[in-house]
Amino acid sequence: MAAMSPSKRRLQRELMSLVREPPPGVFVDGDEVGQNLTQWIVHMEGAKGTLYEGEQFQLQFKFSSKYPFDSPEVTFIGGNIPVHPHVYSNGHICLSILTDDWSPALSVQSVCLSIVSMLSSCKEKKRPPDNSFYVKTCNKNPKKTKWSYHDDSV
Amino acid sequence: MEDKRSPQWSSENTDVNQDELILQQQRRIEREISESIALVGEKESLISLELEYAKDEVYLAKTKVLGQKYSYIRRTRPDGNCFFRAFSYAYLERLIDNKEEYEKFRELALKSKDNLVALGFPQFTVEDFHDTFMEVIDKVGGDSEASRLELHKLFNEQGYSDYVVVYLRLITSGQLQREADFYQHFIEGDRTISEFCHQEVEPMYKESDHIHIIAMSTALGTGVRVRYMDRGAGTEVTAHDFPEGALPTVHLLYRPGHYDILYP
Repeated sequence: MAAMSPSKRRLQRELMSLVREPPPGVFVDGDEVGQNLTQWIVHMEGAKGTLYEGEQFQLQFKFSSKYPFDSPEVTFIGGNIPVHPHVYSNGHICLSILTDDWSPALSVQSVCLSIVSMLSSCKEKKRPPDNSFYVKTCNKNPKKTKWSYHDDSV
Repeated sequence: MEDKRSPQWSSENTDVNQDELILQQQRRIEREISESIALVGEKESLISLELEYAKDEVYLAKTKVLGQKYSYIRRTRPDGNCFFRAFSYAYLERLIDNKEEYEKFRELALKSKDNLVALGFPQFTVEDFHDTFMEVIDKVGGDSEASRLELHKLFNEQGYSDYVVVYLRLITSGQLQREADFYQHFIEGDRTISEFCHQEVEPMYKESDHIHIIAMSTALGTGVRVRYMDRGAGTEVTAHDFPEGALPTVHLLYRPGHYDILYP
């Protein structure tokens, strides 16, 4: 077998650990990810006692060959995009660890945990104030958006 | 962890997506830089620095003063990781000739992983970087001449080179968090130490400041002398030792935004 690239080797290890010991409310189908390690679907359910209890979500992770030095591209996909002040209706997520504050010491698991906690701490279900403008003009890849802090109250 | 961000629009933004244009340009510049400068270059005579500043009186005068104490320079790629890359290269290079210190450092490096995991870093990712870090240390532990070549080769392979940088960033972050009470005084604004580490230490390409250098050299139990060269008055190239009073094992040249290696 040909030697795996460091990025593939790391993804393989992450996948195994996530399938074996997923964080609560997170589920990955190892076979579904299968051979194509560069694109994963992660299933997530709204935590009990939060505004999202009982809801099911799907997150798409895309990895470049520079992973883990480059952050993964993470978006919500499918029929149910959570209604949240940091989630645009096209599935883009406003979360600093996905761009500026990404570190190679983070992982798919830590991204999932951050997103679970982001959803869980939500007090009012609503879209970001600039949702319609953003969704109309943004690139398909959320990493191509230059995010900046603007609202500390949420 | 949760974020309060939203896309930043320029006022004249109409239909054109400005963000994308800016980012495209940024990536092009980054690519040009990385293609033209090696991650770690060859050792050059300090004369090369004089030539670079032939038409710049302030820097030329300072370079000549620098030349009284140093003979060689080794340049590193200006990608925001240069402090960590320059330091680790220069330090390992020194250890190649000093087996006693090499063994001591190897011990410390071996134990460092458990310290990081105990501090709450995810075992899974720390292990990944630690394994490669140890591999690099082991590969430069043999015969001096061969080790020197190996070091240069490894540090110019992105895979190895960046793994070493990441691991040193984690060690630095670990030290800052372990001694948070002390380092908190050096943090500007109202960020906590752990926020500072997540935003300025652990991510790649974030530049290093005094606080990074103090924490890293303290954690590794070694001293770094940085020579600061800028447009300030006088012809002196001020030296700062980190941690204060420590005997320097590595000498670096700092010019605004960038570190290179110096040799006596």
